[in-house]
This record gives sequence, structure tokens and C-alpha cells, in this order.
Amino acid sequence: MLSNLFRIKWVRISTIITLLAGFYFAAVVAHQQRAAQREQPVLLTDNCRAKLSRYGLEGGEYYRSPYRRDPGTMVPVRRGYSVADIRAIERGCVIIDDLQGEQAQASIERWNATRFVRGQQTSCDHCHQGVGDKQGADGRPQIGSLSLGASWVMADMYDRFTGLLLPFELRQMQCFINSSNGFKPNIADDLIRDVTAYSRFLSAALDLRIGQRYPEQGIDEVTVSQTLKRGDDYVRGEALYRQKCARCHGAQGQGLRQDGRTLVPAVAGPDAFNLQSRNNFSFVSTILPGFICRNMPLGEEGSLEPQQCRDIAFFVSNLPRPAGDKQGPLRAAWQQLMMHGMPPLVGLMSELTHGTGAP
Amino acid sequence: MNMAINPDSLRPVAADLKRDLLVGLTLAVLVIPQAIAFSTALAGLPPYFGIYAAIWGTLFTALLNRSPVFHGGPNSAMSAVIGVTLLPVAPQFGADYIGYALTLIMIAGLIQLLFFLIRPLGRLLDFLSEPVVNGMICGIGLFLIFKSMTGFAGLPVNTEVEWPLWIAWQTFMAVLEIGNLYAIQIGLVTLGTILCARQFSRLRNVSILVGIVVGTLYSEWLNHRYGLENTLVEQTADFSSLGLVYPSLPLFSQEAIPDIIAILPGAVTLALLGLFQTVAAMRRINRQRGTFIDSRNGIFADGVSNALLPLLSSLPTCASFNRMSVMQNMGATSRLAAISSALFLLLMMLFVADWIAIIPIPAMAATIMVVGANMIKWDEIRYHFNNRPEAVVFVASFVSVHLFGLFGAVVTGALLALAYAKWEKAHPRIQLQNNVLRIKGNIYYGSLPVIEGTFHQAARRYSELVLDFSQVHHIDPEGIRWLVSVKDLPEVTLIDRRSGGERRQGGRSRRSDRRREVCL
Repeated sequence: MLSNLFRIKWVRISTIITLLAGFYFAAVVAHQQRAAQREQPVLLTDNCRAKLSRYGLEGGEYYRSPYRRDPGTMVPVRRGYSVADIRAIERGCVIIDDLQGEQAQASIERWNATRFVRGQQTSCDHCHQGVGDKQGADGRPQIGSLSLGASWVMADMYDRFTGLLLPFELRQMQCFINSSNGFKPNIADDLIRDVTAYSRFLSAALDLRIGQRYPEQGIDEVTVSQTLKRGDDYVRGEALYRQKCARCHGAQGQGLRQDGRTLVPAVAGPDAFNLQSRNNFSFVSTILPGFICRNMPLGEEGSLEPQQCRDIAFFVSNLPRPAGDKQGPLRAAWQQLMMHGMPPLVGLMSELTHGTGAP
Repeated sequence: MNMAINPDSLRPVAADLKRDLLVGLTLAVLVIPQAIAFSTALAGLPPYFGIYAAIWGTLFTALLNRSPVFHGGPNSAMSAVIGVTLLPVAPQFGADYIGYALTLIMIAGLIQLLFFLIRPLGRLLDFLSEPVVNGMICGIGLFLIFKSMTGFAGLPVNTEVEWPLWIAWQTFMAVLEIGNLYAIQIGLVTLGTILCARQFSRLRNVSILVGIVVGTLYSEWLNHRYGLENTLVEQTADFSSLGLVYPSLPLFSQEAIPDIIAILPGAVTLALLGLFQTVAAMRRINRQRGTFIDSRNGIFADGVSNALLPLLSSLPTCASFNRMSVMQNMGATSRLAAISSALFLLLMMLFVADWIAIIPIPAMAATIMVVGANMIKWDEIRYHFNNRPEAVVFVASFVSVHLFGLFGAVVTGALLALAYAKWEKAHPRIQLQNNVLRIKGNIYYGSLPVIEGTFHQAARRYSELVLDFSQVHHIDPEGIRWLVSVKDLPEVTLIDRRSGGERRQGGRSRRSDRRREVCL
């Protein structure tokens, strides 16, 4: 009967027009919902509240940062921020600090960020520590701490592998795709704009100059020349991992979660960064060692030798983790099998050999 | 001998001529929106590439291919391959990108010529059964719909390749949430106009043109009312200054070599997708018209054209199913229709170039959506689901476009087609009626295990077994060796049941067809 109805030309035409009008209506509603979301005040996380108040983010005609990079120098006066600007900066900060929305009061607040992340545990500030602005005890930015502000002033960089020009926005998208093992937000998405706004604010607050290369930008990479030059050793890495890392990250790097909050992030398994992330030793062998040497183990930073960092990174990267989007479905299926099949087997083996249970 | 020309005898010729010219004019108008949309929205190239493909590509293929109802020109799938292949290599619409695109097309043309020069390679294309080609075309149709969603909403093109099916919903949400509402309006108006126009049989063939015109008028009205600086709707580039021929050179520099090597799989995909469609189209024309024209004609014409077109800044060419069906419906009789369509378009270049500049990109994206949806034709797919192997091949080919990308789909399609053909051959029908074992099919290395299995089973059961080879079409050397080894067994005798007289005359035996038997 329905098919008979669709034989009538005018029924078909009015159906087409109704469907298209419905689509437009849905788009208008979604736009309004999003606009309303942007109007709402932002619920800051504790870290963000401390960071932003320390840098004196408030409305006004001029912005003058209270932060002094070098005592005695003048901090230039910059154009101030509007109310909408401040909300964008605050949203950007919250996204960096709490990508998964674990600390959000209402789950709706991070509705557009969590959608682009696959795992349960990844968050920007696992790598970009100190909400993208890690500082040492002396109040100076830590060398090679992936500072967002210092990264913004390098705004467009050439990709080291492809040689393509990568704008700041595209670099953020790579974080979403690979380090968060997620989806790519459209480059026009205000999620990206918010993080950019926060990064710009950081560069203004820290008095970083456009085009300059600062030591806190990027990673303090551990190259082969800093090591024993005898090659990196998986077995040594495994022993070191058991000794130094397994206590928090777990014997198989699955991380630690409690009450829906990530206490220690996973370095392997379905919630970790994926195979195409540059954290991956087999992709770029200098980045993860650099991160480990500077930031791990917590409380004993700097206690590891460069060769030890490389060995640990080698071991960690060989634990099973999700495949990258560009690696195709076969690799993805294989990695899924490894991620879900290996941990029980490894646990069983350690029980048989050491008489101890799984981690 | 009467040399005077009888006007009556010319009348049908004149009528044919008139009809062919009319078909040519219609096609010249029809191809314009497709040409612009394919080049700008899919290939990431300036719009004149599509127009020149519709002129020179159509002209070259029409002159080189003697099939009367053949229409070359820009092709959606091939344009999409260019876009997907070059996206990671250089920014779209840039000088480098154009150079790489021309190189890609030229390499594809040379690969196509290889398919012409190496006969077995060309024959290999005939193995591409209809389900393989249809599955790929449907998959590409769906891909085009996903791919045009960003352009539809005035969003920036995604600059990295990923699995379209995986992120389709992400793109859809982005369209709903952050799309430019003016762009969405223009896209929806265009889409609605096209879909509604298609309901009227008279407007069906020109529906895309009508949609583009209405969409452009609407965007002009929006720009007039709100100003282009507020609507921010992208428009197609102006190319009125280019003239009738715009020579160009592919990029073959020292620095470009690594990138050229990287895009070689794309060139193979481009070449194969073009040839698949040309060969399939020629096969279809042959069947519809009840004639036979060797598909090598088409391969040759495509290869030569695609090797030359990069010198004329043009997209690659291959057979166009939709334009050829228009030709068939309007009753084109000769190659004049295709040739005249190219020449009419060349003339029109002088007049339409100014107008093309104001066509909005969302209207182009809406066109691509309709083109993509048109590639999924239920009437043609339906038959594949009646037969299980065909259904499997169709579905696998369809899915592989989305899982493995276009190059992967081409490889999968070729493997599937070969596997399908071999599987059919490797399973001869073997019947055991009492003590007569009838083999229908081929005896070759692939089917021997099947035959041997049944043979030994039957030999164990019957003391006297008769093998009937009368319906065996082909025995390969391995099959002959097997027969010899069977013959050497003490209990087997080979008998030719024909009499000596029959054998000398080559006639047939009385009781049955020519029959060789093995008696145990």
C-alpha cells in the first residue's frame, strides 16, 4: 500500500521536500544548541582555575600578564579579552585538563570533545602536563614539556616526515587521531578553536614571541648519540619496566582507574595511544624516551639514564595497542585480537612460571 | 548508371544527421555541470579541467573508438581517485597539485596503453564480471555521497585520508552543528530541485542542470541580500580568460620523483577504473545493439587519449554510463553525436565561462550526491542476489571500496573475479549413474582432485566402471598425464568406441556422441 502511494508523483515530491526541510530544521536546532552551549559559563577544573587566575585572565581593554619570565623585564601590554574570548580560553583549558569529562559537573559540558576520543583514559594533559604549561620548582617552564604556548608561537611547522606545512589546528587534529586514538574534528570545529584560544592565551601570559623557538616547546628528545650506542634492548626494557613503572601503570600497562576517574593512564591496551602516534617507539624512536626521561617516574624525575628511557620506551611500544586509522582494517582487527587476547595469556604464563597471579 | 542523387534516399540520412546533432547539443549542455563538479569537488582541480576533458576527451575517444554510441569525458570515479591519491601529496588547487595530477593522468594513460599492447592483460579485463564492476560502482557511489558532505555544508575539506565509512557520522554531525547555514540552504535547494525535477519524465535528463541553475540563482539572491562577506559561500573559479586550448605539462622533476613513486598505486587504480568502465560500457552497448565491437578499441582509445590529455590540462576520460544511456535513449546512430557534443561545448566555452564562475560549491556538492546516488541502481543490482556466488562477489567488492580504499578495491575486485572464474572451472559436474561416471567440464590441475576423489570412490564400488568424457571441453597436460597413469593401471583399458570407418571420416557413433571410455 505504501509502495502504491509512492507511485503518485506529488506524494514523492512532497516526501522529498519534507525530508530536506526536516534536515534543515535539524541543522538549525543543532546550531542553536551549540550557540547556547557557547553562551553558558564554564565550570573550571581546579587546575584550570589555579592556572588562569595565576595568569590574571579577566575582561578589560588591556591584558598585562602578572607572570615574569625574566625578573626586571617589562611584559608588553596586549589587547584585552572579551567575555566570549574568556569563555573560549576557559573551555580550551578545561578540554586540555579534562578531555574525558571526568571532573565535569554535568556530562553535557564536554559534549563536543569526548565525541572525538575512542578510549576511556586518554587526556591532553597526560603528555602536555601542567595543563599544557609545566613549570619546575623554580617557576620556569620545564625543558621539552610540550608547552602549548611555545607550540602556538611556532604556529605553522613543517611535518618532519611528509614535509607538509602543518598549521597548529592540524597538529591538534593529529593529537585527536593518534595520541587519543580518536576521530578527527573538522578543522572549523570550535573545539579546535577553543584549544587554540587557550594556547594563544598561554603564549601571551608567558610573554612568548611569535616565530621564536623556546626550549619548552616539543620534547627533549633522546637520540641514539646520548646512549650506549649498542642498540636498544627489549629484555632490559621489560626488566626496567617491572622495576620502575609496573607499580603504577600495571604489569601490562593497562593503567589504573578508580570510580570512573583515571589515576594512572594506560600506556598499552585499548585505552592507550595508537600505533601511529609519535609516542610510538617504532614510529619515532626519540619522543617517548624523551618524555620518560623528563617526567617519569613520578616524584623521581630525571633518575633514569637516557639508555634506560630508550629501553623502557622500546618495551612499552611493543605492548599491544590500537592500530592507527591509516593502517587499514586488517591491522586494526589484528591489534584488537592482541589487545584482548594477550593480557590473559601473559597473566596465565606469569602465574605458571612465578606462581603469582596476574597484576 | 544514374548518378543523380535521389532526394528521397537522402531523407533518412538527413534525419539521422539532425538527430545526432541534437543528441550532441543535449550532451554538451548535460556534461557542463558534471565536468565542473567532478573537477572542483572530487579531483581538487580547477573547473576548466573538467570542461576540457568533456571537449578533448570526448573528441579523442570518439575519433579513435569506432563504437557508434560511445561517449567519453570526465568521470566521477576517476576524479575521486585523483583527489584521494593526491590529498596527502600537495595542497589542492595549487600549482604543485596540478602538476602531480597531470603526471598521475599521464602515467595512467601509459598503463592503459600497456593493457592494449599486452594482449593477455587486456583479456584479463574481460574477467571482471558484472557483479565485481557493479559492486565497485555502487561502493564508489556511496563514497561520493560521504565525500561531498563537507562541501555541501561549506566546511573545509578534510586534509587527510581516512576510512570514509568510519567517520561518516562524524562528518554528518559536523554538518549539522558547524556547517554554514547559507551553504546548507543552497545545497538543499539544489538537491530538492534536482530530486523533484527527476519526477517529471521531460525534465529527467536535464534535472542536474536545472538544479544547478536554481541553486546558483538562490545563492546570487542570498549574496545580494546579505552580502558575500556574510554568507561566505565559496564559488567556482572564473576561467573565461583561458581560451579554447590551454596547454600544460606534467611534473617530472628530480624533487618530485619520490612523490611520483608514492602515487603509482593511484595511477594503476586510475587506469584500471577507467578501463573497467570502458570495457563494461562497451560490453553493455554490444548487448543492447546486438553488434560486436572488440573492447580493445576502447582500451586503445582511452590509453591514447589519457596519455595526451595531460598536455591539454584535462581530467582523464573513460566511458560514461549515464551519458551513453542518454545517447541510446535519444537514438544516436553514429559517432557524429559524440564528436558534435565536443565541438558544441568548445563553442559554448566562449559564452558559458563567465557564468560558471558564480556557481556555488554547495550546489556542486549536491550534484555529486545525486550522481553518487545514481550510481547505486537497484534495477541492475537486484539480479546479483539471485545467485549466491554472484551475491558474495558483489557484496565483497562493494565493501572493499570502503574498507581497503579504491586501490584495494581494484585489487580485491580483480582477485575476486579471477577466483570466481577459477572456482567455476575447478568444479566440473560429476554424476555417477549406476556404473557410468559422467564428467561435464574441464579436466585440469584445479579440477583433478575433485574428479580423482569421485573416480576412486566409484572404482571401489563397481567392478566395471565406465567413464564418460563426452562433455569434457578441455584437458590440460596434467590431466593427460593423469589419464596416462590411470591407463597404466593393470585393470584399466582405454577404448575408443567409434568404429574404424567412423574414425576415418570423423563422424559420430550411432549410439551416442563421440565417446572415449575407460573400462575397469
